[in-house]
Amino acid sequence: MSNPAHPAVVEAPAPTDQRETLTQRRTSRFARVEPKGKRVYTARERAEMLVDEGSFVEMTPMRSAGSGSGSGVVAGWGTTDGHSVVVVSHDAAVASGAIGAVMAESIQKAQRFAIDKGYPIVYVNDSGGARIHDGIFALHGCGGIFALNIEAQSRVPQISLILGPCAGAAAYSPALTDWTIMVKEQGQMFLTGPDIVKAATGEDASAEDIGGSALHTKVSGVAHLEVDSEEEAFDATRLLLSFLPTHKGGAQKRHDAVPANPHAAAALPTLVPEKSSIVFDMNKLLDGVLDNGARLELMPEHAPSILTLFARLDGHAVGVLANQPNARGGILDSKASVKAARFVEFCGRFDLPVLTFVDVPGFLPGTVEEGRGVITHGAKLLKAYVDTKSPKLTVVVRKSYGGAYIAMGSASLGAHANWAWSNSEIAVMGPGGAVALLHRRALKEAEDPTALRDELAAVYREEVARPYLAAEAGIVDDVIHPEETRPRMVAALRMLTHESGR
Amino acid sequence: MIYARADIVSNVWKLVAREGDQVGPGDVLAVMESMKMEIPLVAPVGGHVSKVLVELGQIVQEGDPIMEIDETASA
Repeated sequence: MSNPAHPAVVEAPAPTDQRETLTQRRTSRFARVEPKGKRVYTARERAEMLVDEGSFVEMTPMRSAGSGSGSGVVAGWGTTDGHSVVVVSHDAAVASGAIGAVMAESIQKAQRFAIDKGYPIVYVNDSGGARIHDGIFALHGCGGIFALNIEAQSRVPQISLILGPCAGAAAYSPALTDWTIMVKEQGQMFLTGPDIVKAATGEDASAEDIGGSALHTKVSGVAHLEVDSEEEAFDATRLLLSFLPTHKGGAQKRHDAVPANPHAAAALPTLVPEKSSIVFDMNKLLDGVLDNGARLELMPEHAPSILTLFARLDGHAVGVLANQPNARGGILDSKASVKAARFVEFCGRFDLPVLTFVDVPGFLPGTVEEGRGVITHGAKLLKAYVDTKSPKLTVVVRKSYGGAYIAMGSASLGAHANWAWSNSEIAVMGPGGAVALLHRRALKEAEDPTALRDELAAVYREEVARPYLAAEAGIVDDVIHPEETRPRMVAALRMLTHESGR
Repeated sequence: MIYARADIVSNVWKLVAREGDQVGPGDVLAVMESMKMEIPLVAPVGGHVSKVLVELGQIVQEGDPIMEIDETASA
């Protein structure tokens, strides 16, 4: 008789028994744990759905944080559109996905692998934060994840999906990654949840109030895209990855060139209202220039006066930054500056060309914006452009005044090529403001100051603000017709990408 | 009650909707002037304009209520 307590000592099991044991262990480990709440899929199903079918390989599937349970995370690699990607998927079925020492070690192992080999990392977050039972070991493990998040920033793209309530460490790690996608009414991010908020400060607020996708994609800017379902989150992730190299210095993604939308291209010469105070939709202008294909706008509802999107031009993946006159007149303010700076900085980090379309009335001044630190935030945008060494192409399509002119990818910040449309205005300030300052005395003494102001403003607009002065000074490369924008940008991009050896 | 609020520090340049008007979501209620731009203020919801809270030329801050909309009165 064999002793069940010491089976290996008494007799070595036959090879067939080993096969059975492994099969049994796999069956119990991979057993479907029914998801709770609004969740639809298990951690492993999420990882498998994100990558190309059948491509997911788990790194250490037997790793365990204790008797019978998994490590709390499914970590491994697969491919999206044939390109390798590392996936870290929190297992909310194990202690609500709380991050203990073993789970942290498994995550760090995947991060290290991605950093060393140069693969993007997608984090599927669904975790209550640090595992309290593991005490300081959990905190140390979370800190280690953060440190690798930061190390990865200069090496590989990182995308975070928020598919459940993510507290503490599970909210901080996404903040150290590049792009965060939240599922509406399912994912939340907060320092701590409603109960502890109530105990700490007395504030009575729901999980959605504190950390829902509406708050973070519209108001706070903590997350960058809101989607309706887990499937949409995976689709958006694959789309995002389709614009990005797998790692810094890796090959840029090239597709076949596609012409711009023919209707939008035909409308380009008459799209922008002549009167500079009238708003219009910048998206229509972009349609007339960029390849008529896949786009991904990030932060569409946060600081909407500036548009940030990935698109293609002549088949090249590019980052596009554009003022949106349709929202708050297209001004730059604190939030728009942070949004724009973050986007340009990302493009620079992964060598993506930056196309900038300018129609900006200026930085919004006043007590509210100064109080928000618009000077500091605006400075971040200047720094992002200067630090970015990838091709920078800028076109002024209507007006560009003052500090905002400089901040929007100007020649002084290192634009490799820049143009102005023939109807555009580039000046230290708009004609109205400039005339009021320059002709203060004449206006004060005039019989009809309004008529004089209009007259002087018209002269200023034609003689000072038109882009010919800038072109003659070599500060703008050339003055162009709207329909020349695409061919000029395509030619510049071909020349610049060839030059840098890509 | 739902308020249409100013998007930006601005002055009230044109009042398009009047008290009692029936409006749909996205309809232009007023035009605000800021940074030499004419910035439309649109209805966040449909309903009837139960109160206009500002006067022409008044300076408002971002977030200030401009018009009150009674959503229940929506057709």
